[in-house]
Amino acid sequence: MPDKSDIPSLPDRIGFLSTSTVGHAGRASKTIAQKGGPYVLALIMVAVVWQVAIVALNPPSAILPSPSKVARTFIEELLSGELPINAWVSLSRVTIAWIISAVVGIPLGVLIARSRVAEKLIDPVIELFRPISPLAWIPLAILWFGIGESGKIFIIFIATFFPIVLNTVDGIKRVDPVLLRAGQTLGCSNGPELFFRVMLPAALPSILVGMRISFGTGWAAIIAAELVAANSGLGYLIADGMEILRSDLVMVGMIAIGIIGVLVDSIFKQLASRIA
Amino acid sequence: MAIVEQVSQYPETSISEPAITINRVSKQFHDDEGGVIEALRSTSIDIKEGEFVVVVGPSGCGKSTLLNMLGGFDSPSSGQIRVDGEPINGPHIQRGMVFQDYALFPWLTVIDNVMFGLRKTHSKAAAREVAMKWLELVGLGEFAQKHPLHLSGGMKQRVAIARTFATDPKVILMDEPFGALDALTRRFLQQQLLKIWSEHRKTVVFITHSVQEAVYLANRVIIMTARPGQVKLDAPINLPHPRKVTSAEFRETETTIFEALDEEMAKTFSLDSADGFSD
Repeated sequence: MPDKSDIPSLPDRIGFLSTSTVGHAGRASKTIAQKGGPYVLALIMVAVVWQVAIVALNPPSAILPSPSKVARTFIEELLSGELPINAWVSLSRVTIAWIISAVVGIPLGVLIARSRVAEKLIDPVIELFRPISPLAWIPLAILWFGIGESGKIFIIFIATFFPIVLNTVDGIKRVDPVLLRAGQTLGCSNGPELFFRVMLPAALPSILVGMRISFGTGWAAIIAAELVAANSGLGYLIADGMEILRSDLVMVGMIAIGIIGVLVDSIFKQLASRIA
Repeated sequence: MAIVEQVSQYPETSISEPAITINRVSKQFHDDEGGVIEALRSTSIDIKEGEFVVVVGPSGCGKSTLLNMLGGFDSPSSGQIRVDGEPINGPHIQRGMVFQDYALFPWLTVIDNVMFGLRKTHSKAAAREVAMKWLELVGLGEFAQKHPLHLSGGMKQRVAIARTFATDPKVILMDEPFGALDALTRRFLQQQLLKIWSEHRKTVVFITHSVQEAVYLANRVIIMTARPGQVKLDAPINLPHPRKVTSAEFRETETTIFEALDEEMAKTFSLDSADGFSD
């Protein structure tokens, strides 16, 4: 089946001068429909392959439940409030840690990009810690913080911190020097004024990319952290499903993770395209 | 090596004290291997208020270096540059600059770009009014709410010109502003610039590779020697506006400048090859 969403995107490209007179709202709703379509199609395709596998292999339902069974469980969990609550718990953990990362990481990134000394001092530390997966910190986090909230916030902080710092450094370093010169000849004093009026807005698209990527890495890490040590959250839902041999529950958790991940990412993309 | 210097009896009467004095300015750079590049050697130029000076020269003749020093982005190794009697101390809003690659702020709309330099001196409403006036003057009033991304190169440069003139600087520095544009757009922008200049009489220092552009725009052309840059020829252009590039006088002026430049081009090439073989 040909991808329908390809067709409306064509006139968009031809007359970008004229289409920009169309309001933002019109464009936004169009792109949501355009972007949502392929995902729905992908879900249907996965369900078809899945159903075929069940018909062909006939596995016990505790190992591989049918799509319809999982869909039923999904709706049950959704209506009982179990799924929304756990999703909310996971999301809020990531969001809190991610905000802390941004508050610490963006100024640090600016400092590294602007100061040679800071770069020489901090860069090696970052390079040493960056390859260590946030998951490797889970045992220490449990030792230090127990299984409470702060341990999970700590893990997600580790997972979200580096993309934010590195993209901020990159964004600030790549600011076109001619823009700074233009700012200066237009009366910006060479200090906070030039920074806030020219440098930061010029680097913002790159900083937002860092924020988007880090939310993704944080979202992947929270599930792992909750699998190991938690009594709430989507990771906990999955771990619980495994313990009581409910593979349908495990899959519901996985599907929720995927859907929320895609939704959050598309919100960021939408936001970035508004700003840039 | 004699330098041809025609000290001009400048014909216009309304012109007063020199707005810019460049006094025995030299500039050396250090290259990566610890060597010294002499970009500019003991150059002196007086520019009067309201003059439209175009500087032409072979590449690497130090004309951009000179403009950067006028802009306050760089300082002379020796000698002095004064604007209205004051030494230059960093960039200033009184010395506006138009860049070859436009340097518009992509996150701001066209009108917000033009308003950028008016923030400190104008209320928001007044700034908007001034900006709109300038946008209309360069024929882009209806593009005020667009982002620069959606404009062509020529339109972007018109916004940049409006943005610089809007702040009402004493001196406007233009660094090959039309260098990236096609011939037709270039001619159109030259005409617009002349129109604005004739109405507002700013002191303009304009840098270009193009001899035709120099003769078309300038009321004074300065030709630089090959590196180290010095003034080779300093000539008034007295042709009446609008100038016709096909007229005999225009061609004659162009020829004089081309001949002076050709000598320097020859030196540049021999210099390059000497560099190549000496190490």
